[in-house]
Amino acid sequence: MNLALIGMIAAPLVSALLSLVVKSRGSMERLQCIHAAVLLATMGAVITNIGGDSERVLGVLRADALSAFLDLMLAFVGATGLLYALGYMGEELDRGHISFHRYGRFFCFFNLYLFAMLLAANLDNIALMWIAIEGSTLSAALLINFERTKTALEAGWKYIILSFVGIALALFGTVLVYYASEHVLGVRIEALQWSELHRVASDLNPTTLELAFIFIVIGYGTKAGIAPMHTWLPDAHSEAPTPVSAMLSALMLNLALYAILRLKSIVDPAVGTNFTGPILLGLGLLSIAAAAIFMLIQRDYKRLFAYSSIEHIGIVLVGFGAGGPVGVFGGLFHMINHSLAKSAAFFAAGRVLLRYGHKNMEGVTGLLRQMPLVGGTMFLSALALAGMPPFGLFVSEVLIATGAYVKQPWVAYLFIGLLAVAFAALVYQVLRMVLGEPKEEGVVVAPSGGRFAAVSLAANLIALGFIGIHMPGFLRDLFIPMTRIFQAGVNIP
Amino acid sequence: MIEAVVITFLQAVVILAVSPFLVGLIRKVKARLQCRQGPGWFQPYYDLAKLFRKEVVASTHTSWIFTAAPYIIFSSTLAAVLLVPIFLSKVPLNFAGDVITVVYLLALGTFFLILAGLDAGSSFGGMGSSREAIVAALTEPAMILSIFAVGLTAGSTNLSTIVHKTAVLQGVVTDPPPHLMALAALFIVALAETGRVPVDNPATHLELTMIHEAMILEYSGRYLALVEWASAMKLLLFLTLISNVFAPWGIATEPKPVWMTIGIAVWLFKISGLAVLIGVIESMFAKLRLFRVTDFLGLAFILSLLAIIFFYILRG
Amino acid sequence: MVVHPDLGSQLVNFCSALLLLTCFAILAQRRLSACVDLFALQSVFLAVTAALVAFLTGAYHIYIAALLTIVIKAVILPRILKAVIERLNVTRELVLNINIPTSLLICGALVILAFYITQPIISLGFLLTQDSLAIALAIALIGFFTMIARKKAVTQVIGFLVIENGLFLGATAAAYGMPLIVELGVFFDVLVAGLIVGIYTHRLQDTFDSVDTTKLTALKE
Repeated sequence: MNLALIGMIAAPLVSALLSLVVKSRGSMERLQCIHAAVLLATMGAVITNIGGDSERVLGVLRADALSAFLDLMLAFVGATGLLYALGYMGEELDRGHISFHRYGRFFCFFNLYLFAMLLAANLDNIALMWIAIEGSTLSAALLINFERTKTALEAGWKYIILSFVGIALALFGTVLVYYASEHVLGVRIEALQWSELHRVASDLNPTTLELAFIFIVIGYGTKAGIAPMHTWLPDAHSEAPTPVSAMLSALMLNLALYAILRLKSIVDPAVGTNFTGPILLGLGLLSIAAAAIFMLIQRDYKRLFAYSSIEHIGIVLVGFGAGGPVGVFGGLFHMINHSLAKSAAFFAAGRVLLRYGHKNMEGVTGLLRQMPLVGGTMFLSALALAGMPPFGLFVSEVLIATGAYVKQPWVAYLFIGLLAVAFAALVYQVLRMVLGEPKEEGVVVAPSGGRFAAVSLAANLIALGFIGIHMPGFLRDLFIPMTRIFQAGVNIP
Repeated sequence: MIEAVVITFLQAVVILAVSPFLVGLIRKVKARLQCRQGPGWFQPYYDLAKLFRKEVVASTHTSWIFTAAPYIIFSSTLAAVLLVPIFLSKVPLNFAGDVITVVYLLALGTFFLILAGLDAGSSFGGMGSSREAIVAALTEPAMILSIFAVGLTAGSTNLSTIVHKTAVLQGVVTDPPPHLMALAALFIVALAETGRVPVDNPATHLELTMIHEAMILEYSGRYLALVEWASAMKLLLFLTLISNVFAPWGIATEPKPVWMTIGIAVWLFKISGLAVLIGVIESMFAKLRLFRVTDFLGLAFILSLLAIIFFYILRG
Repeated sequence: MVVHPDLGSQLVNFCSALLLLTCFAILAQRRLSACVDLFALQSVFLAVTAALVAFLTGAYHIYIAALLTIVIKAVILPRILKAVIERLNVTRELVLNINIPTSLLICGALVILAFYITQPIISLGFLLTQDSLAIALAIALIGFFTMIARKKAVTQVIGFLVIENGLFLGATAAAYGMPLIVELGVFFDVLVAGLIVGIYTHRLQDTFDSVDTTKLTALKE
């Protein structure tokens, strides 16, 4: 397990360095395919061998159930994202939009981004995790602006400013946690470790932790796209190159949520669930509302999916805010399903963009006829995102509604009502794109790029459907310890 | 009683003797920073002596205000400085007034200076007077509030009490955040009231940029000497306020000759340091345009206001 | 009224107050290069405070952090920012969203807010002085406000760096400094962030011919 963990985290770093010296497109494709395979293999080893709570690798890395769950998401969607990026950027290279030098640099930053995220998910130290998340922010900042257009620059600048402020607030929250834990654990590096913090959680000072939680929710919430700190998200996710958009929506947001959830698991035993619950519930409902309203008036399909991400993060928050085993399980399940569905949706959107050259939904119709695979994927992923059975998102939304109902019935009513609005908006917009007669011809994409896209699209969809219909054994083995982490302070009725 | 008179007389002598030296020091620092020799160390004294010997030339359009103003300005400034602890923390005259008295004595002098500038009927004088009025109106509240901020800690507005209590507090600075703000505010006020860059350039020849110099443009002979001396004493007053209210250690707390001598030496050292600092600041910055001066003074006011608010809200 | 008899904590208090004063000074500036200089001065004060804390508490790794503060925040980052200002030919006047006296008053209010927020937790000991955590939060809030109240991109960067200074003060004076590896990581992050922002400002100037961020209004809804 140790080697697998180190391998999984080191692979993107090595690949990033190698991307800079690769000389031809073919070798880059081989490199990234090997990289993706290594990621999947090591991830498989990690999630099937979760160590106990105090097993640490290299002194700072540790993969408990929650980290392994996140590793599953990061590695799988990261691998399919890599394959997709090969196809997409390869097409851009063929068309002459970018030089080979920039192609190489893209993959270097992309890999660094994956490295930072994998590192953040597996670090046992709250402050080092902050550093890794900041690292992922920095590499994302370089990626968002990759296309050098005016709007991309503006989106990148907004992202930088808001993210940096958010990260700074999260750092203050981290310092406050350290301040609280120093009294119990002493002035040493162990006072920052998640495992130690879990252990002494109920001894920590409640007021300090309450303050720390608020700062961390606002700080990491900015990175997670929680309303009202979400204003950078639609811009950044729509202006970035599509492989990057997919990674941002599917992975970065979950990573930021992971950070918030870890802290919640420490704050709850110290303060009692009635503090974090309402905060997360309120923010979640606000996010869903904001997203649903804006989704109705969108004209750009990437922005549409970006707002959909905000909505889904809100749903996860409602799940965790509602608490209880049902709500927690619903939230976690929703995270992984959303990753798969959203990345599939963005993969499809990227193909559409390559074909038509614009992001306007008015000009896109008849996808099912013109580009069957892409159209089909977009249709299925949109249905999944809207919460239709048999996809897992339906299951998780029902569970979360149930959990919310147990807590406060009106929350559940509001939740379902807002989801209905979002459902209508998303399905309406996507159906208009997918059904009917094709309007524009666009530029047909070369088959080589198409192959990569097909693989990644299919992989995501199959995984999505599979998990929805039947929970695989390894996933179930992850969920049980995870819910245990969150039960530590929950009053089980 | 005799002791009080002697000490007061001694203080007056020290003030009158040292103030031209301060002006000369600042000029020397500025000259050296500009890589020139500059006037000699005792040039201000020679200037004063020369002016007293010269004949007065006054415009026929002026009234008694013009002739009376230099004396009023000189005596009010001297009276104000006599209220400020220089080498002894409990000044004999402290029964006569506190910081508000000091501020209003200075205001009296400024008022008559403004009138004198208007009295000759020249346009430059009028311009200088109106500008001086703006500056004085903005600096007055800032000055009072910043001394109050320290006074709140000491529990009195009497300057001698403030200085004595701070000096006796065993070398510990009490409550840095409000005091630091009050110090910054008072420093800005000092620059403004004594007509230094960045508010007013004392060495300018251009009448359109003058504030203080424009008002005294018509004066000559002994009147000019008195006004110049008064402005030097004002400089000394402000530097003494800054050093002795915020950092009075070294001052004599009892009227023993040895301690008072040490007090004089320490005080000379402190205000010379401040004068050098002012010289450096004058060389580093350019004069602000008039409408920016109000911003600058507003900063001083807000800082002193915040110092007071801090004390009340945060210390109970 | 509380008077701390301990000279060490008084000195730390004094240095923290100096830091707060430089924050006010940055907001009261109209010249861009003066803002950068004041930030460098602030970082020097910060390093002095950190060294004081290291001396008084015996946590020697803070000395290294203090040294890094001087090298990175007082020398390297101001050089980068000055180079950006030079090369971009940014006009030296600052563009204000909120005028100077109002912004100073708001800063005062933010300081009081910071003291109020940290009031419940300062009594837990481990603090050299009561004020340092509150001043740290105040500096962070003032930095945040600077980002909102000024329009030029470079000033927004300075606001962000001021936030980082405040957080470093908080970590040092209130929590006796984070472990060394964390401090190193944070410094590295700040440096890279500064570089990236430098790159972005270049691109902003190239694309929009100005670094006035109110021109970035194309993306709405």
